Amino acid sequence: MPSTSRIPFFLLLTLLLGACSGQQTKLTDPERDPWEPYNRKIHAFNMGFDRAIFRPVAKGYDYVMPDAPQRGVRNFFRNLAFPVTLLNSLLQGKMADAFTSTGRFMMNSTIGLLGFFDVATKVGIEEVNEDFGQTLAVWGWKDSRYLVMPVFGPYTVRDFVGRGFYGYFHPVSYAVREHNNYVPLVIDLVTLRAELLPFQADIDAAADPYTLVRDVYLQNREYNIYDGDPPAPDYDALLEEY
Amino acid sequence: MTKKALIPALLLLLWSSVVSANRVDERDPATIIEDTTKHLLATLEEHRAEFSDDPTRLQDVVRTDLLPLIDLNYSARLILGKAGRGARPEQLESFSQAMSGVLVNRYADGLLNFRSDEQVQVLPMKGKNSEKLTRVRTRIKLENGGYAPVDYAFHKTEQGWKAFDVTVEGISYVITFRNQISPRVLAEGIDKVTEDIQAGNIKLND
Repeated sequence: MPSTSRIPFFLLLTLLLGACSGQQTKLTDPERDPWEPYNRKIHAFNMGFDRAIFRPVAKGYDYVMPDAPQRGVRNFFRNLAFPVTLLNSLLQGKMADAFTSTGRFMMNSTIGLLGFFDVATKVGIEEVNEDFGQTLAVWGWKDSRYLVMPVFGPYTVRDFVGRGFYGYFHPVSYAVREHNNYVPLVIDLVTLRAELLPFQADIDAAADPYTLVRDVYLQNREYNIYDGDPPAPDYDALLEEY
Repeated sequence: MTKKALIPALLLLLWSSVVSANRVDERDPATIIEDTTKHLLATLEEHRAEFSDDPTRLQDVVRTDLLPLIDLNYSARLILGKAGRGARPEQLESFSQAMSGVLVNRYADGLLNFRSDEQVQVLPMKGKNSEKLTRVRTRIKLENGGYAPVDYAFHKTEQGWKAFDVTVEGISYVITFRNQISPRVLAEGIDKVTEDIQAGNIKLND
């Protein structure tokens, strides 16, 4: 079902973007964010949505739930991402990572009581972060345009495509698709939002929250694609403009 | 401190800053980072209670320890980009001073959460490094057992190696603030933005 509904959605998106392109606004990053006028609109909508619904719920959860169980719940959901991590480690030919993530999953699911305790990190087995967007990047789709999705937030086109595959392999999405059970998804999103609450003050205080979110997102993606060792920014280019 | 003691102290301070400005730092970037973090964290351990009571004291320590190692002007030029075109040297100077003030305060705040110097590791050098750009990679041990990588970008100046960018989990200070600051400088002028940063109206968040 989702695959058929996605095609008209992309068409709609293209139309939307076309409608925006007539505007003559100055782009802050023409190369990576040519759709800035459209993105800014969706960003504004998302911020409103967040303020009205998402954040209050997350704040309520953060208020009633002590820190330790909060971390436990996040550990549980991170542990559940294992099928996605494993598959993408394999797709990128990273055998060591495939073994590491399997070891982590087995350890955390058992000794770590279904993943609520991240014992593996405690004993020095570091977390592996792989997903389909990163795989597409490693396979050659290096640069992709920034795209803010309604409700879902920051993406690139590549990472949004990757997110489509993700749904088939992630247990939380599986529950939604096969059992129409939205409970795990809602808990995952609310607890994730609660985890991000400390950054809110920074976002609100920023001179331009839109570019702050974008730049942090894009740099962090780059960082994950290169497994924590991305190339240095092109400082010379920055200076040339000076 | 009495007024009598204040004047010699100020003179001494002025003199030492002149001397240190002229001295060439012979150390390589990795040693600079290692020495500095070691010294900062030792000082922190020693005076933790005082610093918690009065964060401005830690800010002073950070300022004296850290600022001489940073090429503030170069950082400022990278952040300003074309918005800095035509800025007079003294405008650039007060802009970079304002930025550094905020940076020092944030760094000092973050530092208070540290417990021991075992929490910072300087990793072996990697990749292409040159006089124009040498990266020192470190990682900070987190409470949950994981690590947060913090990298420093250095270049060689007449006063020795100076840092000009910090990257935390892939997020570069220069790149991130560039898009926050430079459009405002283009729109409102460098003096107004400098004032706003000094007044705390523009927060530099990282």
